[in-house]
Amino acid sequence: MAGAAGEYKFLRSRHIKYLKRCLQVLPYSTVTFDTSRVTVLYFALSGLDLLEGLELEEEERQQIINWIYTLQILPTEDKEQLACAGFRGGTSLDSCRDVDGCADDVSLFDCGHITMTYTALASLLILGDDLSLVDRKAVLAHVAALQCPDGSFFSTRGGSENDMRFMYCAAAICYILQDFSAININSAVQYVLNSMSYEGAMGQGQYLEAHGGSNYCAVATLHLLGHLHTALSNSQRQRIVRWLVWRQSEGGLQGRPNKPPDTCYTFWVGAALQLLGGLEMVDVEALRQFVLSTQDPITGGLAKYPRSRPDGLHTYLGMAGLALLTRDSLRPIDPALNISQRALHHLHSLHRLHDASSTNGTASTQAHIK
Amino acid sequence: MREAQIQLRVMCSNDDEYVSEEDVWVLYKDREEWADVTPLTQDDGPNAVVKIAYTDAFTDVYDYFRAVVASGEMSERALELTEDAINMNAANYTVWQYRRKILKHLGSDLKKELAFCREMIEMNPKNYQVWHHRRVIVDWLKDASKELRLTEMIFSQDAKNYHAWEYRQWVLRTFKLFDGELDYVDRLLEEDVRNNSAWNQRHFTITQTTGFTPDVIQREVHYVKKAIEKVVNNESPWSYLRGVVQHCDGRMGSVGDLENWCRQMYEGGQRSPYLLTFIIDLMEDKMEHEPDLRPSVLKHCLQICICLATEHDQIRQEYWRYIGRNLSHRFGA
Repeated sequence: MAGAAGEYKFLRSRHIKYLKRCLQVLPYSTVTFDTSRVTVLYFALSGLDLLEGLELEEEERQQIINWIYTLQILPTEDKEQLACAGFRGGTSLDSCRDVDGCADDVSLFDCGHITMTYTALASLLILGDDLSLVDRKAVLAHVAALQCPDGSFFSTRGGSENDMRFMYCAAAICYILQDFSAININSAVQYVLNSMSYEGAMGQGQYLEAHGGSNYCAVATLHLLGHLHTALSNSQRQRIVRWLVWRQSEGGLQGRPNKPPDTCYTFWVGAALQLLGGLEMVDVEALRQFVLSTQDPITGGLAKYPRSRPDGLHTYLGMAGLALLTRDSLRPIDPALNISQRALHHLHSLHRLHDASSTNGTASTQAHIK
Repeated sequence: MREAQIQLRVMCSNDDEYVSEEDVWVLYKDREEWADVTPLTQDDGPNAVVKIAYTDAFTDVYDYFRAVVASGEMSERALELTEDAINMNAANYTVWQYRRKILKHLGSDLKKELAFCREMIEMNPKNYQVWHHRRVIVDWLKDASKELRLTEMIFSQDAKNYHAWEYRQWVLRTFKLFDGELDYVDRLLEEDVRNNSAWNQRHFTITQTTGFTPDVIQREVHYVKKAIEKVVNNESPWSYLRGVVQHCDGRMGSVGDLENWCRQMYEGGQRSPYLLTFIIDLMEDKMEHEPDLRPSVLKHCLQICICLATEHDQIRQEYWRYIGRNLSHRFGA
């Protein structure tokens, strides 16, 4: 709400309440998220983490972890089955395969989805889980099976579009599991380069209009693969930075030229700028005021535009964007994995344990990450 | 298709006056023709989170859909069931996938499927699944005769719909339908010269047809100059101009006399940040190629950066200060 000086205040406690409600039950109007509930869970958990509002009882924390693991598809050794592994987004179809005498190809209709796998792993990290129950081999086989000849990724084995979004998810999963063998890195990098439009930034694929979301996925993928500074020349990076700073319009950030500013690009554009070292080049306070103007003063939560209805995605991405700006005592965020730095440190400690176990080869430490 | 399942109940307050008429949804569990199928309930475990408050009708449809997937039933009634499931949640990619399996198995009329898909696209124009389904069906049919018209109808409501542009590009490339594309882009730009998607489509179309030959570059520079003269403060054509110029081998300023054209606008008092940025780019190009001119050109360039930072583009003042420092570092003594 606007304060005395006409400035908006950050409504922390209302946002905590809003996200806690998302964690429990969502209204029927959100039924299109039925197959991506774990992504909504990730928005709520990561948002609460940034707000320092994720104080769960141990039992509750464990229950959420258990629910996430029920979304994991544990395949047989069959190669085609491995490709269908990963995490599902919800439980809407997982009972089909348990029926006696069910159809042979039923597992094709209950496959893992690459975005859900990424958001499930991110949620587990936020909750402090050690990923010991993640079937690494199966998750990586699932990622490998989804890469297309042009370098991009499908989302699921059952058939989907292929683009930059899913490439980012693949890179994030491989980074979390510290194993990039599932990705053909050369063709992935080539896909990113082919997607650079004449405007100077990346679109969803070759010849497509540059887009704030796709461009984030492209830049973050290169960063996670360790190729941001080798795949792109200095002048290419400068052109992306210019395209990104041009996105600031009426205070907020837009996804494409001549479109209205939208809360979610606070993160997509802001994080890409941060990865390229240019976040301070936008007017941070004007951006912050725009994001705060999209808060709902009654229910909490943030909306796409001012005076609109809030939703989980815009609430989280608006808040993640504010966390980049470090003005509202939110926990610092990692722009590449889109989790708090606290959660990232936890991941890095798991990586160290894993490295130690690889060196020692002792059974006890091996158990930490299968 | 639905008529058989929808019973019209006419409620009368008295013998000769209708007060209301409503469609009554009959749950699948109450439908005789589904009596042979045992519904399969969803198992969300004891401690589910982010639960969705399903309606009874939704739960019922999906209980039957699960049962059908489990048994592998591929029938006309299963096809109709997927239609109900999609109507309730068009983002459920598995339902679409199962629907395609049935269509293939039954050898269904795919023209009818296109009509259904069109309806779904109209209702959910920003849903990934509907556009993907369309693409698969059109690929099966090898007939794209309705596709350009479909995207045009979507653009008449939202000329920047990214899904529809992506789909249209796929159609144009796969079926080689570029003949009228540049005229269509012209029309869109006449309607809205700020439509960045249309500018991108212009670039795409030329790339896929004539390519940026010297003649085409001259023509495009002329075209984009006219568009800028109409509305100067418009990022899209400036960005397009830069894109076109990139295709030349020679120097930026020599193409279509851009340097003079910019100078005239500047001397006429025009201070749009896009013009000023383009002038900086021209000067950068000049400093790159003519070291002798660096001191004077750099001075002018830095002045423009200061004007942008303090007056014409204050929101990006940190950026312009950075650019100024960068240019000084590269081209200063």
